[in-house]
Amino acid sequence: MKLPATTPPESSCMEVLQTAGEIIMENGGETYRAEETITRMGVGFGLNKVESFAVPSGLFISYRGKNGKLETSVKRVRRLGRNLSRVDAANQVSRQVAAGKMNCPQAMEKLKEIKAMPGAFSGWWSLPAAFLCASGFSALFGGNWLAIGASGVVALVVQMIEMFLSRFRKRGLAASVIGGMFTALLPNLLVLVLPALQTELVIAGAVMPLVPGLAMTNAVQDTMRGDMISGLSHGAQAILTACLIAGGALLALDLMKLITGGMV
Amino acid sequence: MPEPLWLEIIRAVLGAFFGTIGFAMLVHVPKRAWLSSGLIAALSYLVYWGLTRLSIPDPMAIFIGAFFGSMAGQLFARKLKIISTVFLMSAIVPVVPGLGLYRMMSFLGRGKINVGAEIGIEAMITVVMIALGLAAGGYTDHAICTLAGKRHHMSEKKITP
Repeated sequence: MKLPATTPPESSCMEVLQTAGEIIMENGGETYRAEETITRMGVGFGLNKVESFAVPSGLFISYRGKNGKLETSVKRVRRLGRNLSRVDAANQVSRQVAAGKMNCPQAMEKLKEIKAMPGAFSGWWSLPAAFLCASGFSALFGGNWLAIGASGVVALVVQMIEMFLSRFRKRGLAASVIGGMFTALLPNLLVLVLPALQTELVIAGAVMPLVPGLAMTNAVQDTMRGDMISGLSHGAQAILTACLIAGGALLALDLMKLITGGMV
Repeated sequence: MPEPLWLEIIRAVLGAFFGTIGFAMLVHVPKRAWLSSGLIAALSYLVYWGLTRLSIPDPMAIFIGAFFGSMAGQLFARKLKIISTVFLMSAIVPVVPGLGLYRMMSFLGRGKINVGAEIGIEAMITVVMIALGLAAGGYTDHAICTLAGKRHHMSEKKITP
């Protein structure tokens, strides 16, 4: 059977809806936000009976097209990273569509641009970000200047290690273990050279760039709206990440015990 | 030697402000939201810190701090037209028990199971209180918007024609 050379306009609208939902879900947006954005955009495009259903691993969209035919699509989604700029940009597109200021092809154009925006862990700027985050929180917890500086440097080194690792594999749960391990290991090694170092405060600050703050927020946001599946999934992600960071730290402490012969 | 009060306040405000901006940069928050993220974090941490100084129990202080942050976050999100996730996340990041988590592990690693478990449970209570505070803030914000007759993003209103 020969496929038609051009796709009918409705199916390109379906693609737009899929892409918008995908961008939101892949970059750390909440599930309810993906559903709401898709419905709002579909209505903005003039489609009837727009329904969307999102779970953490996929999107289901259906609507009645202009010719009265019911169309449905399934899209597998994988959480890639955390990039709220993309989520926000997709949200802005949906606002424009809902206001009738954008049609299907224009929206697709814009969404493609959003997809091409620099990704998580690609930019060198995550290094100063990690430094700022760690030293800021180290100060908050009551560290002195030495602790503040050391905390920033440790976080920066850990970030560099994670950037190096992300070249082989997408940032995942393994990164939390390794991050937690080095975050605990480096200050414990540093204290052997600088005995005045407030090790605990250095670690407390340096661990902050790793904590699952976004997953926690999303868990609350989704649960609040009655979406138990997504809420639990985000919550489990947050708890698992925290446990893995802690596990990594435990490994590092055991390692220190071996190095120093039980002096920690 | 206890620190003077002004130094503690500076620590709380500047630490939460810059630390949270760093965290926001790490999750690629849009540039136009950086400053307001830091501001929300500093404000909600200041509320938490002030309450603990007034010897309010820690879980209660965290709840109120998160509640305040959540309300302020929704307001900022509406005014600046930026997704609310950004501000809610910023409000809770300074009180996430990172130190508690590490101390729990460090005690468990040294075989002091009792102390470790105690600190771990404290950290868990903190997390629960953060979640409750955020949720309570969201519901209150929704209620206020409904009373004021504004459409809220949490409204059940059907958007399908």
